[in-house]
Amino acid sequence: MTEHQPETTSGIPLKLLYGPDDVPTDIWEALATPPGRAPYLRGAYPRMYRDRPWRIFQLSGYGNPEDMNERLKFLLFEAGETGIIIKHDRMTDDHLYDVDHPEIVERREDVGLTGTVTVGLRDYETILSDLPLESIYAKPGGGVPQSAVYTLPSYWSVASRRGIPLEKLAGTGQSDFFLTYLGCPTKEQIPPEAAIRFNLDLIEWCSERMPRWVPVSIAGYNAADSGLSAHQELGAVMANAVQYLDMIAARGKVDVERLAHRIGGVNFRVSMEVFEDAAKLRAARKMWSDLLGERYGITDEKARQMRIHVVTAGSAMTYQEPFNNIVRGTLMALFSVLGGTQSLGVSGYDEAMSIPSDHAHLMSIRIQQILQNEINLREIADPLGGSYYVESLTGELEQRGWEFFRQIQDRGGFLAVLDDGFLLECAEENNQQIAAGLESGERAIVGVNTHTIDDPIMEVEAFEGRSGAETWEMAMERLSDLRRTRHRRGAVEALRHLEEVCRNDSINAIPAFMEAVSADASIGEIGDVLRETFGDWQVPIGV
Amino acid sequence: MSEPGSSPLPPARVLVAKSSLDGHWRGVAVVARALREAGFEVILGGMLRPSEMASVAAAEDVDLVGINVGGRVEVVERALDEMEAAGLGDVPVFVGGTVPPQAIPRLTDRGVGVFPPGSSLSAIVEEARRLTGRAFPAQRL
Repeated sequence: MTEHQPETTSGIPLKLLYGPDDVPTDIWEALATPPGRAPYLRGAYPRMYRDRPWRIFQLSGYGNPEDMNERLKFLLFEAGETGIIIKHDRMTDDHLYDVDHPEIVERREDVGLTGTVTVGLRDYETILSDLPLESIYAKPGGGVPQSAVYTLPSYWSVASRRGIPLEKLAGTGQSDFFLTYLGCPTKEQIPPEAAIRFNLDLIEWCSERMPRWVPVSIAGYNAADSGLSAHQELGAVMANAVQYLDMIAARGKVDVERLAHRIGGVNFRVSMEVFEDAAKLRAARKMWSDLLGERYGITDEKARQMRIHVVTAGSAMTYQEPFNNIVRGTLMALFSVLGGTQSLGVSGYDEAMSIPSDHAHLMSIRIQQILQNEINLREIADPLGGSYYVESLTGELEQRGWEFFRQIQDRGGFLAVLDDGFLLECAEENNQQIAAGLESGERAIVGVNTHTIDDPIMEVEAFEGRSGAETWEMAMERLSDLRRTRHRRGAVEALRHLEEVCRNDSINAIPAFMEAVSADASIGEIGDVLRETFGDWQVPIGV
Repeated sequence: MSEPGSSPLPPARVLVAKSSLDGHWRGVAVVARALREAGFEVILGGMLRPSEMASVAAAEDVDLVGINVGGRVEVVERALDEMEAAGLGDVPVFVGGTVPPQAIPRLTDRGVGVFPPGSSLSAIVEEARRLTGRAFPAQRL
């Protein structure tokens, strides 16, 4: 009988004991370089958390703009968050639908459940009222590219109206391809080819005018929580970066070296496979630095620095016995920091049933504050460095990550593997394996398929926000108000101009989006322009 | 080919669809594949509005509807109402996904089985067999 061969979730075999021979030569070499220097294996900054504690950066948002504003003020001024993320209602925002769209009306009770619902720029003024935009770090939303060109211009326009120069604003966009074309393929998304044009427009716009803004952010999290394994996440993130950089180089308007630092804010998932995922963050920094040096000949070390945001795996949070998730969140948060993350969001303990309740939200912040204040974690850079096990995983992930990267490039590159369904197939295959492991009991989850009890002390209620369709009804009123009281001709002209610009990709589209939102065009009207101009992406899977 | 003497039933047809406009496909794909491997004929509906849930179920002449819930239970209730209004009140329905725990009784009271995240696939397949009266839907060889 053969002994059961243990392995990590992504399939790396596990030995009982690791030694110096398990660490590849180039990892030994990289270990000798201190943090803050290429290839950044040991950390992005020389003094790491002594100078820069990681940013507590939680997803937040629900209901109406007033609800969102209240929640943001609580998080910033009372709970002690150090940056804001505006989470938008995904039904209206991802699709750019007005609330009276038939797709929304039949599901009206869902409106406001996954984030705050906006009908136009006026709602951003409400969301952001009393917030010091000149001094906060913000992620205004725009997870999918077609929503980013509505959301970011809206946030920026509110700041402009308050007299804050754009160059003073600090924050980040997202426009993530993994979310849009792998993690959550929804109805009516513009095709990746159109989306990438907007992303490049954002990059060029920010390069010229907004030195403190990260225009787009690659989100490996969405690749991983959709099913890609650790090395696949790494390889796919690198392929995505190459897609941007090659196209930017071809456009020739922005210097690639300057740009590289701009897109070096990348988001990863840390799951319950904590050692592998901490190693993954370390490998990611090295791969990024090597890629920019070797493929693009960038010698400036600063330009080759990757800064990491981690979100702990939502999929690790169980529906059963939700308080156990506070323990899971703590472990994943700890290893995210051990891997050297610059900012961190911990999924709420009620993740499997709803967006976070106030209490779940506060617990996610408290986990991070306890790590920052009570265990001397901020004093040491790269505490895992030199562990034979961790360095072996780091080397293994790097090697497997590059193999997956080459596989993508051989198939025609990043856009090709989104369009032909290759990444979706990889994810599905992994998900089937995970499901089979749970079914057989080989993969154990406490309270789900092992050590289960039926005890009401472990029950919590899901957060549901306002009752019935109240949020939707209030948004309908704001929409009809917007249509009634705006300068109608101004809105129509701005939309017509936007359409012309969308049809001409030699013009940067961002100013036209700023004009459209400033003229009180509604979210759905902007969406109509995009649908008309670009059509829909055909999802290459049947789900 | 069925064995001589057995009474062959055609495989049961199951519509699997999402009621919300949320794109998370992971759970749906895993469940759809488990049902298919157990011998069911799975029709993937994507994101369907409540009225479409009823019209597709009717057009496809399904024996069972599986709804992935990524939002509030009222939308699922509207789909049940639409199905009843379309004369499909006898087609059984079961749901999975992020159903708020406090809302589960509203569905179970209407005879709808609820499978939240973490449910076992074999339990889901078992329920599909019970609801469609296909004890051995995989008997085709």
